Amino acid sequence: MVQINFAKREINCKLVYYGPGLSGKTTNLEVVHKKAPASKKGELTSIATEGDRTLFFDYMPLELGKVGGMNTKFQLYTVPGQVYYNATRKLVLQGADGVVFVADSQPDKMDENIESFQNLEENLREQGLQPETIPMVLQWNKRDLPNVCDVGELDKKLNKYSSPTFEAVAVTGEGVFPTLKKLAQMVLEKLNKEYGLNPEKNKGGGAPEAKKPEPKPEPKPEPKPEPKPERKPEPVAERRAEPKPERKPERKPERKPEPEALPKDRRPKGYDMGSGGRSPQPEPKKGGKGVMILLVLILALAGAFIAGGYTGKLNDVPALQPLQKFYNDKLAPTLGGGSATQGE
Amino acid sequence: MGASETDRKLRKARLIFYEDDVERINKALENYQNLSKSRCNMLIDVEGHPVTQVGSTEGINLETIAALVAASFAATKEVAKILGEAEFSSLTHQGKHESIQLSLVGERTILATIFDSEETTIGMVMFYTKELVEKLAGIFAEIANRKDLKQGVFEPMEDMESVIDDLFGDV
Repeated sequence: MVQINFAKREINCKLVYYGPGLSGKTTNLEVVHKKAPASKKGELTSIATEGDRTLFFDYMPLELGKVGGMNTKFQLYTVPGQVYYNATRKLVLQGADGVVFVADSQPDKMDENIESFQNLEENLREQGLQPETIPMVLQWNKRDLPNVCDVGELDKKLNKYSSPTFEAVAVTGEGVFPTLKKLAQMVLEKLNKEYGLNPEKNKGGGAPEAKKPEPKPEPKPEPKPEPKPERKPEPVAERRAEPKPERKPERKPERKPEPEALPKDRRPKGYDMGSGGRSPQPEPKKGGKGVMILLVLILALAGAFIAGGYTGKLNDVPALQPLQKFYNDKLAPTLGGGSATQGE
Repeated sequence: MGASETDRKLRKARLIFYEDDVERINKALENYQNLSKSRCNMLIDVEGHPVTQVGSTEGINLETIAALVAASFAATKEVAKILGEAEFSSLTHQGKHESIQLSLVGERTILATIFDSEETTIGMVMFYTKELVEKLAGIFAEIANRKDLKQGVFEPMEDMESVIDDLFGDV
């Protein structure tokens, strides 16, 4: 299924290499990966067994550049060819926009080719895709081997839908790009036919169908800049060392009604998940409640000063001086107690 | 083929995001990211194409992770069927430091939340995910049910063959 993203001015298509086991699907992808310029390709990822047999799929993204003003990206997948892995084959085929069927040209592999092609038809239909209409290219691989079937015979037995065919020797790279190029062309022609801005003008596009493009201002060509994350690089120990103790006891049991109002910095320092962190904890409410708690702390401290007879030593602690001042100015007269600061 | 049948087939055959769709989605994702204290959030369609992402994606190959996440989710769906469930709506892979939570949004999109266990917890992430998934499912249903294209996708092209030749010229 094609994804069209106007925000990124991007089109994503999925192409799948299908065929019997050991016919050369993974080799096709490896050649594409090897020969494509670094700027256009992504990593080749394989989910394979230890013996390098494809277990789930091989995958690589290939960016082809601008087509009709849209950046075009193909995601290339292979399926596991072995009969046993039909369930995973179906998953990979899901939403495919085009298929390359890689056949092994050796005569003793003909039955496997036929079985695999029938399996492809069944699986396509099961996914709601029509083998008659999906862009498909057939590749006759291993043409360098001494004993291979005649191309006409392969065509007769496998090419049910008159798809374009290519001879290939995937291990040397021969025929790999012509196959992919043809499929890319067929997929893009189909897309252009369905979604072209002026389909009637497109020679390769055919007649317009089912949609009436309305004139609309062009979307901004530049995608939105990615929001800059605020990931703090400092080590965990440092993060935890910075205390913000008021966060934990204040967690509200209910959600905030307007979470958009939260500060952008989503990673408050000192947020310790070590205790009380197993259950969902909505954002603590800030503001009035914090001031209240601060006041209670001040009062408690002041009480402690009075009760414990602290009168002198705390003077040396600079951080407590505002507290002492507050006590002297505001609380001492009210409470009738002595000053927490040492008398002159 | 009736008009409604054509619409249905078109809807099934493509997924189109306009700029304002993505803006709405990103806003919801950013809000969720702040609340859940997750590292980054990606939306991926079930075919493995990335739709959009917010947050720190440094060191993450988005396209590869999108393909793997979609495959992982698809495989899990089959497991669910074997167990008699229609699907598993969420899936978590928990690591020592980094973890990933996958949640199905609507029918065709997966939310992938990557989070650091030093910063938040799976419970916190799941708690906020529920609301986000409902919100996004509404947006996606709207996108999927849009009847007509607002605009054509491609600018006019004279000759597809030469376009392809240009594209593959240096490949």
